[in-house]
Amino acid sequence: MGTGSQLGLLCVVMHVPAEKLWKSVTSVSNAGAKKGRGKGAGRIRIRDLNRGQVIGVGKVNMLWPGLSAPVIRGRELLKQQRLPDDPERMEKLIKLRDSMTKFRRLKLSTIERGWSGTRMPGRSIGPPDPVADEEFTGFDTKVLQLRSLLIMKGTLGRTRNYQAMVVTGNGQGLAGFGLGRAKEAPAALRKAKNRAGKKLMHFDIYNGHTIFHDFFTAFGKTKIYVEKKNEGFGLSCHRAIKEICQAIGIKDLRAKVEGSHNLQHIVKAFFIGLLQQRTHQQLAEEKKLHLVEYKDENEYYPTVVASPSVVRTKDEIPKDETLDFIQYVMNDRVVLKKKKFPRFYETMPHYNIYLKKYERYRNHEKIRLNLKIENGEVKSFLNYKYPEENDVKET
Amino acid sequence: MPLPPASGTGKYFARAAKSIRLIRQGCTNRPFFHISVTHRRRLNSQPVIEQLGSYDPMPNFNNEKLVALNLERMKFWLGQGAHVTTPVAELLGLSGFFPIHPRSYMTAWRNRRTERENLEKQKEAEAAATSKAE
Amino acid sequence: MSLHKFIHKNVVLQYNHFQLLAISSRKLSIIPSVYDGEQDPGPKFFSSGVQALLKRLTRPDFSKVFRKRTNSNRPVLKTPEYKFLTNEELQSEFSKANKTAARLLQMPPVVKVHQPINEVLSKDPALVGYDNTKYLFTDITFGVPNEDRLIVERDPDGTLQMCDHDTRKRLNQGRKVREPMMFADEEKLNGLLEAEKYEYILDRACIQYEPDELSYQKVTSITYQHVDMKTNYKLLRSTRHFGPLAFYLTWHQSMDNLMLELLQTGVIREAVLLMGLRQAIHEDIAFASDLNALVHQVLPMPVQASKPDSLSEVDIQLDNQCIDCVVKYIAKNSAMKSQQELALQGFREDYQQMVELSRGLRKAHGEA
Repeated sequence: MGTGSQLGLLCVVMHVPAEKLWKSVTSVSNAGAKKGRGKGAGRIRIRDLNRGQVIGVGKVNMLWPGLSAPVIRGRELLKQQRLPDDPERMEKLIKLRDSMTKFRRLKLSTIERGWSGTRMPGRSIGPPDPVADEEFTGFDTKVLQLRSLLIMKGTLGRTRNYQAMVVTGNGQGLAGFGLGRAKEAPAALRKAKNRAGKKLMHFDIYNGHTIFHDFFTAFGKTKIYVEKKNEGFGLSCHRAIKEICQAIGIKDLRAKVEGSHNLQHIVKAFFIGLLQQRTHQQLAEEKKLHLVEYKDENEYYPTVVASPSVVRTKDEIPKDETLDFIQYVMNDRVVLKKKKFPRFYETMPHYNIYLKKYERYRNHEKIRLNLKIENGEVKSFLNYKYPEENDVKET
Repeated sequence: MPLPPASGTGKYFARAAKSIRLIRQGCTNRPFFHISVTHRRRLNSQPVIEQLGSYDPMPNFNNEKLVALNLERMKFWLGQGAHVTTPVAELLGLSGFFPIHPRSYMTAWRNRRTERENLEKQKEAEAAATSKAE
Repeated sequence: MSLHKFIHKNVVLQYNHFQLLAISSRKLSIIPSVYDGEQDPGPKFFSSGVQALLKRLTRPDFSKVFRKRTNSNRPVLKTPEYKFLTNEELQSEFSKANKTAARLLQMPPVVKVHQPINEVLSKDPALVGYDNTKYLFTDITFGVPNEDRLIVERDPDGTLQMCDHDTRKRLNQGRKVREPMMFADEEKLNGLLEAEKYEYILDRACIQYEPDELSYQKVTSITYQHVDMKTNYKLLRSTRHFGPLAFYLTWHQSMDNLMLELLQTGVIREAVLLMGLRQAIHEDIAFASDLNALVHQVLPMPVQASKPDSLSEVDIQLDNQCIDCVVKYIAKNSAMKSQQELALQGFREDYQQMVELSRGLRKAHGEA
């Protein structure tokens, strides 16, 4: 009985082509497809069961001269013979079949990785291609944006285009940005990169680490307030501005973007702002006053960084003139400084309890450290004075 | 609610009786005292009027006991008629600010007596041991 | 009288004990000499004449006085500030900076080593046995400076007395209770001296000690002697420690090496000032009136940071007077005659060339 029904099933399988069988496994009903079934991680995929299978090699490891082995090896005529069985063969095959179905995400090393995962923005794509034997040595290009644009065409309907924005620079004041469009993403990136290489601009860097002065810059609805910072401050700004600064070689700066965060506008506004910077000498000449620098680490010694050819006296300065340096270079723009709210936990009752309890332990960390410095371990002189008490504690 | 400062709140009732006393502040097995002025009928766990000093009864690395006294404020509160508890009066006596408290003399005398007695006992024990050996 | 004798004996004892502690290293062995003799260096050091001489000898260079300092409670740098200033405002800012420079260059005082405090307030034998530890009482009245603070101790034997300096120092907060390793461990101090970190040592000593302490004077005198031995004066110029260094060397009659360095670098005017300092401290120079007149002439002159391009006739006259003075000094007072004479000879030759050059230039310009 049992054998008969099995045979019947076998007959059905034998008579239906593989295509149909796979379809019956993988297909989703029309209603199911509308609901979104058969997509994503749980989707069943068609496997090529022939992969890894070679004619002449099977469960029984036979040597077939002329099929799985040459007829003559050296001067010897090979004979059909049975070789020892390979127990791992089946496992290997199953592994190979599994590898076809399981979805693998492309993994990048932390250094190669961009702003987010395997997406292109933030990733490095090397220097621009050489132009007429002029090589871009020391240059590196960073992708700022890669997006697909959909265009309707009369004949073709909706077509997909890729647009890329990149910035390239040598880290020593030379940098440029470029925009490229193409049917494919790599082509768009290449175009953008080579365009960026052709539009290099030079920027002076103050003391090799920052900008010359604070400035305000805008493009469209995007407004950027950029602040000059001390050595070691780092780049505290929008990620695109950070990439641009690294390409130019600016190390310390703070920038705040207000209004639209359109990336292309941010890039353009920032480059415009950098280009519109004035040197100290220009500022002194504009104001006809000495420009003096004060540094905290030099005990605020007044260092004259630029002097004009003619200096105005106090009487010649009108009353309503802006003399404050930062106000002047920012064109009377003021950054919106939002009110700082207390951290969410600081308003909760448990925080007060914690503070009360912590008051008792507030100096313990310091004392421990000091004991470690003086005695090499967390033991006070009392531990040495009463050694018998130590033993009690240990046992 | 901010914590009341250890140095006191400074709030007090003018006509109420005050007392200058030791208030234990340390933790388990580690005594430490504030010398504070507070209302005489107030508990030691309640906020004080003003802290006048501190006393560390555990000898430090150099075998010294440290006492800090704000003598100016001490004089002020004494002038206001504050009562001084015996332990504080003893400390003030040792510092030379007050005359030596009788209890200090008594303690010293008792300590000397016990030491003397211990010595005698030791001598007797030794004598007994030597006589037994003979 | 007996007390005085006792104190004197104590000090002498301390001094002897101290010589045993002398720093010894692979190459050098410096015996610290402190200000503990009969004479107090304080009044001489603080007199306005000596202060002016010492400040001038420091040769302040503002680029070094206002050099980048990252040690004074400054965990991170700050963004520089900018200002638009007129000429007058700039001048007032510079005068403010001069005041700051005066503050930064304020010299640590040079005084005699302090005497031990031995003031018994009362003795009460009835308190024997009260406790076997000392009681230390500190007055914490608001607004009392640390040096005037009342600190007394009650000993186990019932004696109430004023505390000695080391206890006072321990109870007055503001510095580490334990001596830092760089002063406690001779090897570490030697390492710092070998690395020529003189300013660091002296600054740290100012933080840790009081100027009238024996340990302070020991550390500083070792450092000064090391500087003198290695002729590293330029490391301490433009710092607040050069004045005490010059004073120390002059006080101990060993300023001839410094004089030699001044002659070799061709700063003849400062050599005269150094002689003036010696005269002010020891009064052992024969031509005192000439010297004092010359010192008064030189003091208001600006500091010679580098060699001048051309010399006016007034300058030449003054420098010649200085040279004459130095010649007299070398003949009568110097302990390094031959070397100083050689250095002076070299300076004279250079100077003669300069004089001829500047006179020729003036002739070419048609001024003379």
